[in-house]
Amino acid sequence: MLLSREEVERITSRRLAASRADGCIVHVSGSDKVNLRFARNSATSNGARSAVGVTITSQFGQRSGSATVNGLDEDALDAAQRRSEEIARKAPPDPEQMPPPSPQSYASNAAYDTDTAQLETARLAEAAQTAIAAAEAGGVDAAGYAEAGGRFRAVANSAGLFAYERDSIADFTVTARRKDGSWSGWAGGSEHRFDALDPEQIARDAVAKAAHDATPLDLEPGKYTVLLEPSAAGELLRYLMWALDARAVDEGRSWLSSAAGQSKIGQQLLDPSVTITSDPADPLAPSPTFDREGLPHQATVWVEDGVVKTLACSRYWAQRTGRDARPAPAALTMAGGWTSLQDMIRATARGILVTRVWYTNMLDPQSLLLTGLTRDGNFLIENGEIVGPVRNFRFNESLLSMLSNIEAIGPSERIHGGDLHGAPVAVPALLVNNFTFSSRSAGI
Amino acid sequence: MTDGLLDRSTCANLADTALRKARLAAVDYADIRIGTNQSELLFAREDKLKAVNTATETGVGVRVLVNGSWGFAGSNMVSDTEIGRLVDAAVATARATAVIQKRPIAIEDLPSYQAEWAMPVGVEPFSVPTDVKADHLLAINDAAMKAGADYCAATFQFVREQKFFASTRGSEICQTRVRSYPFFRATAVDRDTGRFVTRDSLAAARGAGWDYVERCDLVDEASRAGAEVREKLHAKPVEPGAYDVVIDPTNLFLTIHETIGHSTELDRALGWEADFAGTSFLTPDKLDTLQFGAPMMTVIGERSQDEGLASVAYDDDGVRTAGREFPVIENGVFKNYQMAMGQAQLIGRDGSNGCAYCASPADFPIQRMPNISLQPNPEACSLDDLIGGVERGIYINGAGSWSIDQQRDNFQFSGQLFYEIRNGKLGPMLRDVAYQGRTVPFWNSLDGLGDRSTYFLGGTFTCGKGQPMQPAPVSHGAVPGRFRGVTILNTERKA
Repeated sequence: MLLSREEVERITSRRLAASRADGCIVHVSGSDKVNLRFARNSATSNGARSAVGVTITSQFGQRSGSATVNGLDEDALDAAQRRSEEIARKAPPDPEQMPPPSPQSYASNAAYDTDTAQLETARLAEAAQTAIAAAEAGGVDAAGYAEAGGRFRAVANSAGLFAYERDSIADFTVTARRKDGSWSGWAGGSEHRFDALDPEQIARDAVAKAAHDATPLDLEPGKYTVLLEPSAAGELLRYLMWALDARAVDEGRSWLSSAAGQSKIGQQLLDPSVTITSDPADPLAPSPTFDREGLPHQATVWVEDGVVKTLACSRYWAQRTGRDARPAPAALTMAGGWTSLQDMIRATARGILVTRVWYTNMLDPQSLLLTGLTRDGNFLIENGEIVGPVRNFRFNESLLSMLSNIEAIGPSERIHGGDLHGAPVAVPALLVNNFTFSSRSAGI
Repeated sequence: MTDGLLDRSTCANLADTALRKARLAAVDYADIRIGTNQSELLFAREDKLKAVNTATETGVGVRVLVNGSWGFAGSNMVSDTEIGRLVDAAVATARATAVIQKRPIAIEDLPSYQAEWAMPVGVEPFSVPTDVKADHLLAINDAAMKAGADYCAATFQFVREQKFFASTRGSEICQTRVRSYPFFRATAVDRDTGRFVTRDSLAAARGAGWDYVERCDLVDEASRAGAEVREKLHAKPVEPGAYDVVIDPTNLFLTIHETIGHSTELDRALGWEADFAGTSFLTPDKLDTLQFGAPMMTVIGERSQDEGLASVAYDDDGVRTAGREFPVIENGVFKNYQMAMGQAQLIGRDGSNGCAYCASPADFPIQRMPNISLQPNPEACSLDDLIGGVERGIYINGAGSWSIDQQRDNFQFSGQLFYEIRNGKLGPMLRDVAYQGRTVPFWNSLDGLGDRSTYFLGGTFTCGKGQPMQPAPVSHGAVPGRFRGVTILNTERKA
C-alpha cells in the first residue's frame, strides 16, 4: 500500500497524540510490488504484494520498547501502542539511550516514478518474453526475475521530527544456461524507472555469455589478474561499507583498529584511485534521504583517494566522543575512471573476466578477508582478447588487497545486486592484479 | 486459532468467500493462506538492554492456477474486500503470465484434510515477562565478560507462526508453530597487538519455547565462552594442509544444510532457481545410483522431529507430512529429492513429499527443506572414540563463516573453536581454521559417526531462497563425524 505524505502524517499525528510515554517514535512503511519468475524459457511463479506496517517505539526515561503491526486498523494500532509502553515500563534502563532527535532538514528524493510504482504484471511478462525469445534464438535456456513497484517510509517523533520519502524500483535479471548445463551467463539491472531498464540488452548480454560451444578451460587456482565486472565488484565492496563504524574502531574490533588503541583513519590503506561516496543527489545511485532515526543522509565522502575519511557514528557515541553523529552509509557510489571494459581487456596480457560472484562471506574481519565463488560468466583473457570460458573458482581475498592492487577503473554504473539493504549501488569495473583464487569450483 | 488476531471461523469464512470467487473465475485450482506471525526480538550488549521489539504481522495470499499458469497475490491487510481484490489480482496475473507459459504448470491430485495442529510447546515464549527475558540476556553477557570477554552481545528471538490453509480441493487446515533462538557473541581484544576474535554461542534455534532457552543454560556456556575467546586470541595458528577432522554436530549441521539440504531440492535440479539460489549437481539421473557418501551415512527428511524448526503436520500446499519421513540418502546412496506440489511427475515420482513453505501467508509457497538429519551410528561410538581414531587431526566445534557454490559442490566452512588432535587425544586450541572440499568426495571420506548419545539438533532460523527472497526455519539433526584427508586452510591474512 502506497500512502501519501498527508496520509502518513494523519497516522503519525494520531499515534503521537495518543502516546503516554516520555518519548514516542512512529515508523510507517509500505509497498506495492509485482514480480515474475521464469526458468527454462517458461513461467514458474509470480506475485503481487501489498504491504503496510507501523512500528511504535515508546520511551520512559532510559527505558524503551517497540511494537509493530501490519495494516492500519485503529484498534490494532492502539493495542500496539499500549504494548510498546508496557514493554518499555518493564525493560531495564539503557543509559546509552538517546531522546528522539529534533526536526531535521532533508535533501529531496527524485527516485520515484509513478508508472513504475503502478506497473502491471503484463509489462514484466513482456520483458520476460524478450529474454525467452533471445534465449531460444541463441539455443540456450533462460531463467530470470522481474520486479517493479513503489514503496514509502516515514518516521515521526514526539520532538516534532517528521520525515517521509518514497521511491520506485525496477529489477530485471537473466541467467542463460546451455541446455546441457555446461555453461551459463548472467546479466541484470536495477533502476528507479522501469523504462530505464533495457530487457533486450540484458537478455542479449546473458545469452552471449552463455552461448559458448567451447568446453570451459580448467585452470589451476592461484593468483590472477581479474577484471571484475561492476556486479562482482559491488558485491564485494558492500563489506567495506558495513565496516565503517566509529565505535567499533574505538573499541578495537574493526579492520581500522590498530595496536595500542590507535586507529588507521587517515592512513593510505587503499589505492589512490579509490574514492567512495554516498549522496541523496547522486544521479546514479541516490541514497535515501534519512535513516531510521530520522537523521538526514548527507553527501558524504567515506573514502577519498584511498584514505578512509569518514566513519558512521551513532548519536550516543558522537556525544560521548565529541564527534558529529552520522548515519551508516545507505548507498554506495565508487568513483569511476575512464577506461572502458574493452580497453581493460585489450590491456590484459593474461587474466580472468568475472561477471558475478556468489555466496560471499567474511573470513577475517581484521583484514576484510572474504570468500566466495565466481559464477555465470568467467572468461580467460590472453593478449588483450577473450579466449573462452574458464571454470569457476572459489576466491579467498582480502578486500584491502583487492583495493590496493587496482590497475584500471571503468565508468561507474548502477548495478543489480550488492545492495545495502535495498539502497542503490554504483560501482565501476575493476582491473585488479594478484587476486587469489584458492580452489576450483565445478559449479555452473 | 485461539490466540492470534484471527480465529478459525473468521479464516474459514474469508477463505470460503475467496475460493467461491475464484471458482466463478473458472480457475483450475485455488488455495488461500491466512495467518499471523508474532515475533519478538530482544538485544543486549554488555550490561545494557538495547532493544525490545515485538511484531504482529498478519498476511493473506491467494494462489490460482488458470490454464496452466500460476497467479498469486498477497497482502498484509486481511478483510473481505482486500481478499476479493487479491483473487482478481491473482487471476489477472495468471492470465498475464500465459504469454510466457511454454510448459503449462500441472499439479497432482492430493487428498483434502480438515485438521488442526499445534506444535507442542512447554512454556509459551510470549507469556514470559519482558524483564525476565531481559535479565537473562544481561546475565549471559555478564558471565562472558566476567570470564574474560571484553564485549558480549546477546539476542533472543521468538516467533509464533499461525497459518490457516484452504483449497478448492476442500482442505481446511489450521496450524501453529513456535520457535526460539537464543544467541550470543563474545569478543576479546588484544590492545597491544590490535587483534580481536569472537566466539559465538553453540546453542541452536529450535521449534520450542522459553523452557528450551532455560535448558540451554547460556549463562554457563557464556562463562566457558568468555574464557575460550580469551584463549582463542592467543591460540596457535593452524598450519594449512590435509588433516583428518572430527566435526562436532554444532558445526556439521550447517554442512548438512548446505551440501545435502540444498543439493537435494528438486526445484534446483529442475533449473527453477537458476537465476538466484542456483541449480544442483544432483541431476535426476543420479537418483538411486549416486554413492553420495560413505555407506554408514543415512540422511532422513521429515517434519515430525521433536523441536524441529520445520516440523509441521501439513506443508503449505496442504500435503500431509506428519509421520511421512523419507530417506534423502540411504546407506550413502542418493534416494529422494525434496518436492513440493507440481514437481514429482517431472521426474516420474508419484507426488509431493510435503516440502512446500512460504515465509508469510502473503508469499508464494516454494519448495523448502523439511528437517534433514544425519542418522546416528547404530553401533556404540562416542566423540572420544572418534577422536581416538585420529593420529594427526583437528576437532572443529560450532558454525562459523560458510560458503558454497551455486550447485552445492565446492564448499568452505569455518567454525568457532578448533583443537589439535595428536595420537588420539585433544591438544591445544588452534585458530584461523577453515575446511574446504567438494560435497561427494567429502561425504565419502566419512569413516566414523557418533551414536545416538551424541545426537544434536542444530538448525537455522532464516535460510534464504527464492525471488523475492523468503526466509525459512529448518533443523538438522547430526552426530559428530570423522572425515579423512580434509583440506584445511589458514584464514588469517595480514592486511
